[in-house]
Amino acid sequence: MDFDWTEQETAFRDRLRRLLADTLPDDWERFSQHGPASPALTKFAESFCGTLAEQGLLIPHWPEALGGQGLDPWHQTILAEEMWIAGEPRGGQYMNVNWIGPTLIRYGSPDQQARYLPPIAEGKALWCQGFSEPGSGSDLASLRTRAERDGDTYRVNGQKIWTSYAGLADTCFLVCRTSDDRKRGISILLVPMDTPGITVRQIPSLIGEGDIHEVFFDDVTVPVTARLGDEGQAWEIIGYSLTNERLGIPRYALARAALDRAVAVLKAQSEFDGEAVKIEAAHAAALAEAARMASYAIVDRRAKGEAIGAESSSARFATVMAERRVCEFIVEYLPEALADAHPYLKMHHQRGIVAGIAAGAAEIQLNIIATDVLKLPREPR
Amino acid sequence: MDLSLTDDQVAILDAIDTLSRPYAGASLHEAGFALPDAQLDRDLAEGGFLDIGFDPDLGAVSAALVVERLARLPQTVEAAASALIRPLLGDDLPRPLCLVEEGRTTRPVRFLREGATVLLVGPSGVSTFTATAAQVRAEAQALYGYPMATLLDVPTDRTSHAIPASQVLTRWRIALAAEAAGLLAAALDSTVAHVTDRQQFGRSLATFQALRHRLAEAQVRANGVRWLALKAAATLNPGDAALAALHAQESARATVYDFHQFFGAMGVTLEHPLHLWTYRLKALIGDLRGRGGQALAAAEALWG
Ligand SMILES: Cc1cc2nc3c(=O)[nH]c(=O)nc-3n(C[C@H](O)[C@H](O)[C@H](O)COP(=O)(O)OP(=O)(O)OC[C@H]3O[C@@H](n4cnc5c(N)ncnc54)[C@H](O)[C@@H]3O)c2cc1C
Repeated sequence: MDFDWTEQETAFRDRLRRLLADTLPDDWERFSQHGPASPALTKFAESFCGTLAEQGLLIPHWPEALGGQGLDPWHQTILAEEMWIAGEPRGGQYMNVNWIGPTLIRYGSPDQQARYLPPIAEGKALWCQGFSEPGSGSDLASLRTRAERDGDTYRVNGQKIWTSYAGLADTCFLVCRTSDDRKRGISILLVPMDTPGITVRQIPSLIGEGDIHEVFFDDVTVPVTARLGDEGQAWEIIGYSLTNERLGIPRYALARAALDRAVAVLKAQSEFDGEAVKIEAAHAAALAEAARMASYAIVDRRAKGEAIGAESSSARFATVMAERRVCEFIVEYLPEALADAHPYLKMHHQRGIVAGIAAGAAEIQLNIIATDVLKLPREPR
Repeated sequence: MDLSLTDDQVAILDAIDTLSRPYAGASLHEAGFALPDAQLDRDLAEGGFLDIGFDPDLGAVSAALVVERLARLPQTVEAAASALIRPLLGDDLPRPLCLVEEGRTTRPVRFLREGATVLLVGPSGVSTFTATAAQVRAEAQALYGYPMATLLDVPTDRTSHAIPASQVLTRWRIALAAEAAGLLAAALDSTVAHVTDRQQFGRSLATFQALRHRLAEAQVRANGVRWLALKAAATLNPGDAALAALHAQESARATVYDFHQFFGAMGVTLEHPLHLWTYRLKALIGDLRGRGGQALAAAEALWG
């Protein structure tokens, strides 16, 4: 067992930190309060991702043949941590590079790869993911948005909801029903967002402007060639995507960074001297570090090419525990952070609320741990 | 980073499993609150398993793995202090090694008995002495999963050790976390087995979500404690050690009553071995001034 970073990994992290210090504008922390999906940040992200691409830092974990450097999951983790800690200056594009791209690399046709991978690799694409529906959240397999086959095309009708980035995205990774079979009747279509019949409506939210949307599909015509994989293969593909997505957001790292920042502010104000405040801060740090190590255990297995199963749900839940405790700490001991005094902490707090919901709710993670890690018999349906 | 066990570590843990297998058949039904086993203790000591921390190539991580694995047994042996703290002191001190915090010397002490080495640690430094019969009062009725005794007298004539107290405290915290990780895992396994077998309302208790979620959360905690303990053993960093011990004590507090709860009345019997793990966890919760003590130590190490 070895818990140290290699020299190469440390240099990689340093390089990212230098780049962030050199590239982000002076008022970045205030600016980054515009959520990752806001028009302002999306515009900024285009130029920032262009810079990353020029320096080989946008898709370093992709295979060399596709413009990457084939860097291992540890580098991918370092990249994700540094970006997330910095307030995710890649905006919604983090999703492209983390899992949309890798999913297209694994399942896309040559035409789809030729069309969609270069813009992602250059930092010019913005995708949205159409999974959830008003009637289908945790129970994703109950989704009803329908794609009716009609010769060489599908006609899509239905509604998606909570779709991040939909307002500005150019393409949708759309999960829809092609037959009645609960899981094997689901397929994926790659749909340009300017296709006639698509309507997007923003949903005002606690996490800032532009993040979540409703997307309506009204007789939207999509060529069969836009289908990713086979008809009915979506469940398998989604499983692959989600393992990448869940690793892609290292919330434990931002939680720990926000905690350190909050403590620094409290110390500067001579308010980090009582026992209660120290004890609470230490509890939050312990949860963040426990989540970090649980996540690293998964990264380690990925780096060795081993299959990852339900253990990632355990790391996810650990992260939710950490995120909550840090948010609670800040509300209790540094309440002015939720006003305007400390933009970085406000940014963290505003986004932290989704930790237990987006990309699979916390209770669903507990269900998975119970069944697949502890091997308890299943609940009756 | 490489979080797999080395070949040596795999071999050591396999050897422990082989060595302890005959003990798995021990009758647990007559066990009291604690189940000490002198023969197992001798076997482990003779096999060198408690000296692994002396070997610089194996080091504290391997020692912590040994402590974690041994804690999963229903039998209790003094492994944590011997494996992780004795390497700081030298291998000529008789076991068991009993840890006592300065200013807290009247608290019950694990494994304390005549002939044991008592290690006293605190602001005035690190010292040891061999306990005499007159200095020890066995607490045979104590509600803990360890043999316990109270120290009646701390002699002034002690061997002082030229090592900083902070090093001992750091390793104490790592030892505590590693042991708690094994105890949590074993208590969880035992509870999982029970709720899977036990049927009520025509179904296995394990199919009720109220229990599933609390057990899943216990899994998340046990996993976190194990990783924090191993990481702290690797870095020997005071902050890492304090966080590991804090997470261990907090996780013990959060799970012990749930584990018993899910056994129903069976969980209050001496017949079922659950208490052999949980009542050791209870003893660890109070070490080094409990969660508050670990949290303050962590805050000091992390933020000064
Ligand atoms: C900020 C944000 C961004 C998002 N972005 C996207 C996106 O881009 N694309 C997309 O498709 N979706 C997106 N989502 C939606 C997200 O995937 C869903 O919110 C999530 O899957 C949960 O579904 P739900 O909101 O319908 O909650 P529900 O499924 O209604 O769950 C509500 C509560 O009930 C619990 N619950 C549900 N089922 C069970 C069960 N079987 N046992 C125990 N408890 C249960 C849940 O854990 C949760 O606590 C986003 C969500 C958020 C908050």
